[in-house]
Amino acid sequence: MSIPYTQIEDSVVQIVEDMVQDWDLEVEDSVGPHTTLVADLGFSSIDIIHFTVAIEDHFSRPKLGFNELLMVNGKYVDDLSIAQIAAFLDQKLNTPAKQVS
Amino acid sequence: MTTRTLFIGMDGATFTVLDQLTNDLPGVGVVMPFLSEFLRNGVRAKLRSTPNPLTPPAWVSLMTGRTPGHHGVFDFIRAEEKGGDVFFTLYDARDIRTETIWSLASRQGKTIAALNFPFTAPPPRDVDGSVVPGFIPWKHLRRNTHPQDLYDQIKQGVADFDPKELAWDFDREAQSLEDLSDEDRENWVRYHLPREMQWFRIARYLLETKQPDLMAVMFDGVDKLQHQAWRFLDPALFSDHPTPYEQRMRDLCFEYFRKLDGYIKELVTLVGPEAQVFMASDHGFTATTEVIRINAYLKQKGYLEWRAVGQSEAEQRRDATMFANLDWDKTLAYCRTPSSNGITIRVARTPGETGIAPAQYETFRDQLIRDLEQLTDPASGERIITEIHKREDVFPGVAMSDAPDLLMVLRDRGFVSIKNIEPVVEPRPEPAGTHHPDGIFIAGGQGINQGREIGTRNIVDVGATLLYSLGLAVPEDLEGQVPEESFTEAWLSAHPVRIGPPTHSVGGNEAGAEDMSEEEKEKLMEQLQMLGYME
Repeated sequence: MSIPYTQIEDSVVQIVEDMVQDWDLEVEDSVGPHTTLVADLGFSSIDIIHFTVAIEDHFSRPKLGFNELLMVNGKYVDDLSIAQIAAFLDQKLNTPAKQVS
Repeated sequence: MTTRTLFIGMDGATFTVLDQLTNDLPGVGVVMPFLSEFLRNGVRAKLRSTPNPLTPPAWVSLMTGRTPGHHGVFDFIRAEEKGGDVFFTLYDARDIRTETIWSLASRQGKTIAALNFPFTAPPPRDVDGSVVPGFIPWKHLRRNTHPQDLYDQIKQGVADFDPKELAWDFDREAQSLEDLSDEDRENWVRYHLPREMQWFRIARYLLETKQPDLMAVMFDGVDKLQHQAWRFLDPALFSDHPTPYEQRMRDLCFEYFRKLDGYIKELVTLVGPEAQVFMASDHGFTATTEVIRINAYLKQKGYLEWRAVGQSEAEQRRDATMFANLDWDKTLAYCRTPSSNGITIRVARTPGETGIAPAQYETFRDQLIRDLEQLTDPASGERIITEIHKREDVFPGVAMSDAPDLLMVLRDRGFVSIKNIEPVVEPRPEPAGTHHPDGIFIAGGQGINQGREIGTRNIVDVGATLLYSLGLAVPEDLEGQVPEESFTEAWLSAHPVRIGPPTHSVGGNEAGAEDMSEEEKEKLMEQLQMLGYME
């Protein structure tokens, strides 16, 4: 069954908000589509690992292939926005398994 | 409802140290007087760890009553070969392929509390009780604590609760890359004093407010401290004429154990004389005196080729991570991680893949074993690798294909180095702590024999024992057995050991955590290095 994009994005925002609530961050705006993990929220590499595990756990999908999002042309990306993550999840969660490379 | 079973885990605890600390030391006294009395009134045994006596497989064996070949956790890091490269991923709770005692107890109507155990995150959904996982950075404790509102309950209910003191501090551990300076080593020991107090306070809070049927807490500072300070604790190594620094370090270690004794006393007192109390470690400890660079040896023998490392920052950083940095097109056998103490053979499953043909496997492996046997001490002729086990002999089970093809035991029981450095064998400047297969098992309380030492038990027996103590049947597929000689005849007569239906199947995680970036690998290796798994 297809999951609406807005629902996916809301879930990502909720996971991020839940994750960072004790981090003593000084964030001017609330978490939204344009929020970036590293620049805005200070994610370290180990935080990103836990974030991907939290997302996989939330959607009950242990094999989402986050390396495809985290790596572009053989290099790891510097940062990711909530919108980029939601778009990636939309593709992974709403594309039949046999069509996903 | 009252707590009937208390389990206290002590990562890396060994009678080599505890026997000193529970006896009168000249000029010091008895460092652990409560444990001393508890041992006199209870049962003790050596506890044999998993074939590779390492925190991940050993604690998971304790929590499942199953051996690594069945539960599937062999190391901190799991590797997958993808597209001609080898990717490293972190193990987590979803990788455990067999049911845990937390789940077994919960679905049979018992409540549990599990504090600071590795691989309890992400938290299992089928647990009736409280889980605060170990080996998790403080920033991720909230999300990985079960049930969801427990974290806030602890924040409000536990005086001076500080997640930064409680959890793994990755940044702090990353500060130390090579051997610690004297000052850093001293700070490292001091760092664990408040950590254990935090775990103790949570355990006390849960005992007072929830009284779970099974209360289990693990103190991992024992292991951390011993890795860095073994020479101040091992009676065979400590100098008769210590320098002021050596004496200060020994006193500091004793302070840690004195406090730990106080925590144990209070927890045992809280559960009262009606309860049964068990203590265990995942492995023991001993001294390692030399560095064995196993991939450098395999290179000499023609099994692998190092990856050419350029001058770019990225390539230099990759090489410095100390993950096996190899030319995968020319590598047939190699050691993936120092903590594995294993050799992986690459088998070509499809045409064009690098590796030996499946039909050559036995011949190739036998030759590899002979080559490993030939690594000897030039002075004495003694073999450096004293035991070489085939994986079917030490890791039988459904998960065996994830295990290294060969498991090595070094003559000093140390962990290998995988660095591209010569010579292959080199003495350490000073002895360091490493794991020994013999940990500890201690039992006391109602129905437990008094003042008895029993024969060596296996770590898988602990899970079976805790289920038995809860009044539950031991599932027929558990490899662990209840050490009946620990219990009085009257207790056994009234509570015979029952064997029950098998454990429930668990959906194993074939993917696990996401592939790690170079930076992530580097971070993890820094931590493992701190723990003594790295050269």
